[in-house]
Amino acid sequence: MRLSAFSGPRKGIFSFMRQDAFSKCHPLTNFVFFVGAIGFSVVFQHPLYLAASCAAGAVYLVLLNGKKSWKLIAGLVPVFFLLSALNPLFNSYGERVLFHVFGKPYTLEALFYGMAIAGIFVAMMLWFNCYSAVLTSDKFVCLFGSLIPALSLLLVMVLRMIPNLMRKARQISDARKSIGKGAGETDNFREKVADGMNILSSLTDWALEGSIVTADSMRARGYGGAKRTSFQIYRMTARDYLLLGFSILLAFIVMFAGGTEATYTPVLYIAPPGWGLAAYCLYLLIPSLLHGKEALQWRISISRI
Amino acid sequence: MRQSTLFSLLTCVVLIPATLFLGTRLHGRWYYLTCTLVIIEVMIPFFLAFETRKPQARELVTIAVMCALSVASRVVVLIPNFKPMTAIIMITGIALGPEAGFLTGAVGAFASNFFFSQGPWTPWQMMGYGFGGFLAGLVFYRKNRRRSPVVLAIFGFLTIQLVVGPLLDCCTFFTTGSKLSWKYAAAVFGAGVPYNFKHALACALTMLLFSKPLLGKLDRLITKYGMMNTRLEA
Repeated sequence: MRLSAFSGPRKGIFSFMRQDAFSKCHPLTNFVFFVGAIGFSVVFQHPLYLAASCAAGAVYLVLLNGKKSWKLIAGLVPVFFLLSALNPLFNSYGERVLFHVFGKPYTLEALFYGMAIAGIFVAMMLWFNCYSAVLTSDKFVCLFGSLIPALSLLLVMVLRMIPNLMRKARQISDARKSIGKGAGETDNFREKVADGMNILSSLTDWALEGSIVTADSMRARGYGGAKRTSFQIYRMTARDYLLLGFSILLAFIVMFAGGTEATYTPVLYIAPPGWGLAAYCLYLLIPSLLHGKEALQWRISISRI
Repeated sequence: MRQSTLFSLLTCVVLIPATLFLGTRLHGRWYYLTCTLVIIEVMIPFFLAFETRKPQARELVTIAVMCALSVASRVVVLIPNFKPMTAIIMITGIALGPEAGFLTGAVGAFASNFFFSQGPWTPWQMMGYGFGGFLAGLVFYRKNRRRSPVVLAIFGFLTIQLVVGPLLDCCTFFTTGSKLSWKYAAAVFGAGVPYNFKHALACALTMLLFSKPLLGKLDRLITKYGMMNTRLEA
């Protein structure tokens, strides 16, 4: 059905139900890690750092989403090549000219630079997808609920209403079809738009009337009377503190160990990698390693039974 | 209110210039991070104003409904890529004020990305849609005479083609470009024109057909239940 994308937030909306160890950690640990992973991926243009980020991001995404993630990864490959090839058309600095396009030089350095930019883009996409799978809406609200109470209440309400409205929209559409009024796939543009607007109109009426009832109910239950309490499912455990400390430590090593410099145009220069790269790899592999360790323990515990 | 004004002023006078200054001093790809940070910082005053005002339950729920409606509207029309979302956000801004319009757009974009995927585009979408709602509110809020569907349709079309669309394209520009050159900007924004045109057309069509009933419903809600009385200054 066309509503399938909206039938509910992604499968693991309750992140504590996932079979991934890192997703079960405290939101703060997750958030700090992702800020580092995405931030580093955007800023570093050293080829080895980029390769590490792409590889680690892909591994973790496969661990998180399984088969579904292969489609995304396969889709990113042509994007990588396209972006790499396009870049030299707009950036003609560099010494080693490969050929001329529209009378402008197409240089090797610019091509390498394009590959770096494309690599950054791919790494960012991979890590953002991991972020979306791990930092679900409940975790976001847990993190920012006390900082921005009104906005996070707004967000929670919206997230709950979206599937609700989808369901209602489908009901209205079905009801209209059953009396012979709805638009089908074969109808023309005008009929489809008119039908859509009719559904939207009924939906709005229903939703706005409902909103008054909800608001009155909130008032009756004392909304705005005192500071709101919230249901907290996450608690910082020793493991969370340990992971948080470990990732911050590694991030500092990555930042201050150096060896991240790389310039492509006008002159190609790539710094020799040092300890920073090892720390970076370890940092990016934290969630995957945790996942692997947990999976291994689970296997062993099953085989003992 | 005073506290939020102070924070907003601090954001505009200190935080944003500081970010820009730091961003221009650093070499490499820091400009992407700088721009994203500035976009997020620009949104802070709007959010702070809402937060410190301690919104009434009715106002909060109405904005939430309009947010959810704008996201849900994506699937109501059977035509692919027909997105009435921006039109609904703008109408909210027109009926409930620029601030409510901004919130509807920004929170709507953020919430819809929980169903698809958060990405580098999230802050830009929040800013783009939020600004669309804000602008509509600024021009049409409490100005009943101007609200003819044709005028709204033209306004919606132009706003998307010239403001919201290019704001969304900025994300592509900053994430895929290697040099901030005018030529690359022209290529990216040029490639965005037909896509934005479709988006703008959908918005104009929705405005033409749906602005009158939706505005009527929202106005009725306001008069019938006495909403938004507490803040006439908006």
